[in-house]
Amino acid sequence: MTHDYDICIVGSGAGGSPVALTLAEAGYSVVVLEKGPWLKEQDFFKDELACCRRSVYTPELADEPQVIEDLDSTGDWVGEATSDSGWDFWNGNCVGGSSNFMSGFFYRLKPGDFRLLSEFGPIEGANIADWPISYDDLEPYYTRVETEVGISGAVADHPLAEPRSTPDFPYPPTREHPVSRQIDTACRKLGYHPLRTPRAILSEAKGQRRSCEYSGYCGSYGCSSGAKGSARAALLDRAVATGRCEIRAHAKVYKLASDAKGKVIAAEYFDVEGKVQKVTAKIFVVACQAIETSRLLLSSTGPNHPDGLANRYGQVGRNLLFSAGGSGAGDFVYAGMSDQDAEALKTRGPFVNRGLQDWYTIDDKIFGGRAKGGTVDFLLRHPNPIGKAMSVKWDDDDRLVWGRPLQKRLKSLFTDAQYLRYEIFCDWLPTDNCFVSLDASIRDKWQTPVAKVRIGYHEHDLKVGRYINAHAVKVLEKMGAKNIRSSISGSPPQNLVTGGCRFGKDPETSVLDRDCRAHDVENLYITDGSFMPTGGSVPCTWTIYANAFRVADVIKSVNL
Amino acid sequence: MTDLAGGISRREFLNRLALLSSLAACYPAAILAQSRLEAKAHKQPDWLNQDTWKTLVKVQEHLFPASTYAPGAIDIQAIVYLHNTIENPAADGEDREFVLNGVGWLNDLAQDKTRQPFVALGEQQRETLLRQIEESRAGRNWLSLLLTYLLEALLADPVYGGNPDGVGWKWLEHQPGYPTPPEDKSWYRLASPVRFQHKAT
Repeated sequence: MTHDYDICIVGSGAGGSPVALTLAEAGYSVVVLEKGPWLKEQDFFKDELACCRRSVYTPELADEPQVIEDLDSTGDWVGEATSDSGWDFWNGNCVGGSSNFMSGFFYRLKPGDFRLLSEFGPIEGANIADWPISYDDLEPYYTRVETEVGISGAVADHPLAEPRSTPDFPYPPTREHPVSRQIDTACRKLGYHPLRTPRAILSEAKGQRRSCEYSGYCGSYGCSSGAKGSARAALLDRAVATGRCEIRAHAKVYKLASDAKGKVIAAEYFDVEGKVQKVTAKIFVVACQAIETSRLLLSSTGPNHPDGLANRYGQVGRNLLFSAGGSGAGDFVYAGMSDQDAEALKTRGPFVNRGLQDWYTIDDKIFGGRAKGGTVDFLLRHPNPIGKAMSVKWDDDDRLVWGRPLQKRLKSLFTDAQYLRYEIFCDWLPTDNCFVSLDASIRDKWQTPVAKVRIGYHEHDLKVGRYINAHAVKVLEKMGAKNIRSSISGSPPQNLVTGGCRFGKDPETSVLDRDCRAHDVENLYITDGSFMPTGGSVPCTWTIYANAFRVADVIKSVNL
Repeated sequence: MTDLAGGISRREFLNRLALLSSLAACYPAAILAQSRLEAKAHKQPDWLNQDTWKTLVKVQEHLFPASTYAPGAIDIQAIVYLHNTIENPAADGEDREFVLNGVGWLNDLAQDKTRQPFVALGEQQRETLLRQIEESRAGRNWLSLLLTYLLEALLADPVYGGNPDGVGWKWLEHQPGYPTPPEDKSWYRLASPVRFQHKAT
């Protein structure tokens, strides 16, 4: 039987691109199917409308809704289409995926994250599971990502530092904001251990990619210098340069067709004109980000997969994970500060690059002993001026503000104070109330059923978040911040989604084996964050990149 | 490029806007005042002579008044921004309809309460009327949308027709990022051609 390609990859982000690069470099023919457009450095500008206020990098919700199912006040799960609510869970649908728009806070998981169940024990109502691989299995790939994607940082001693096989990062830290030293001072006074946040941002040029230019607009924006380690700039451009990797943009895969034996034989997609197209390959890799990966598998029924691909035991879509925690902020009012200090705080461009992992593991009697904690990361308020201005459009009584009062509020908001915030990253415990299914009635513009996502959280997540928050808030207090506010919530941040196709040893309780190959589909691999049985207490992108490189090595070793 | 604004090309359209918009080169107030004087000398685009748009100009001026304290709707070319935004084929057609219909409701109410169109009212009457329409859900949404577009006109990149020469950024001491978008890379030209086709037909 002849095939169009050796490997067909659905999705071009951090999960798909390491496979594309590794296999193309190894001499295989690769096609990458991407739903969105192929935008490049020359298409990215610091344009708040394009980045954040119009549907340029993500679909119109009317064209491609999802359904979010949340608890109502009477305790019932109620679904609402995102096209009605405006609650957008898309994160970047273009070549390179949402990695184009990340801030690039890159943390490794720690060894304990791979065996959460054995290390900390079960928690009632949570489906915690150990990973079928260990930190040591993934460590070489974390290291590989440092050079392949380009990670800037500096290793420092830390009580909870994870082991690493090389002495330091391949790129020195990116330039830092004056506030970073103030954070260090406050943390040390409190006995905390401030860490330099590693960043997937080049501090020096690499190949075709320039160093960071420190415009001060990074997260949510596409990178025009190529410094940000997006899957496109760091990996796909190189894969294409081998001459063996083809990228098809505007290719929306709606089904993986399988034969009577259960093997995937073709990816079926709608092209830019809405016409049905088909690609055949020996091996298929799915990496559409967790929600859409589960949706695609559930939509891909076949003679041997009546309930969807790889779904023999009804596991696809289950144990979806977000990033639990919350955030806090405080104001540094310029009045009463020396001009020099105020000017330093107003600096725009360099990064804060500070995190705390002192409570990554907690040992406290309120948890009855040892418990899994999380990470705190500091950042300045996002510089987007329109988003910021919108926050003063309504007064405390929910009435619109206009005229001179609006202008006064704007002037004060923009010129009176700097605003430092922190985010807390905790495990979002896997539960039976957080999963993806297909909605029975809502369809997208191609008339295919959309994903329905139930977003239940575990109370334990809030307990951990509040515990860490009580420590984090002290940093702002020590720094002299005013108007300090914080919130810990079970509302999921839309940008860090994993799980849904967890890997494990038992086919009855997991979707993938340790190589991230479907238990019951011999030529299907899943390489986005869907594989994670537990999410760790850090942003997940480095782990997704590392695991995808690991799986790429497995695929390379298969006799094609 | 699809024609905007009834038959003129986009480039011509932008040229006309540029003419209209030599006002407000930058803040502070002294320069604003000079620009305001100069602006009166330029011919305005035809659509601005329509009653609907005249009313919108007046509403915007009320919501974001010009003074020595702050650039007003006129200084940030809020009406040009609004026109560009809602007449754009890639934009949300529902917003366009809502903005234009709202003018009808406002003038109906003005006639009902004062026997005059909105543009003929004094400042206090305008305030009373706008606060009155804020009481209804539709009226509140309409005002909220106009305020959103005003804030965008104040702070979006000048390529979209508002915020001429960064007047809004300068007033709020805001440092924009770089590189800034050239005309041929504005958001609606980067947006997916699938959607563009869909919207244009």
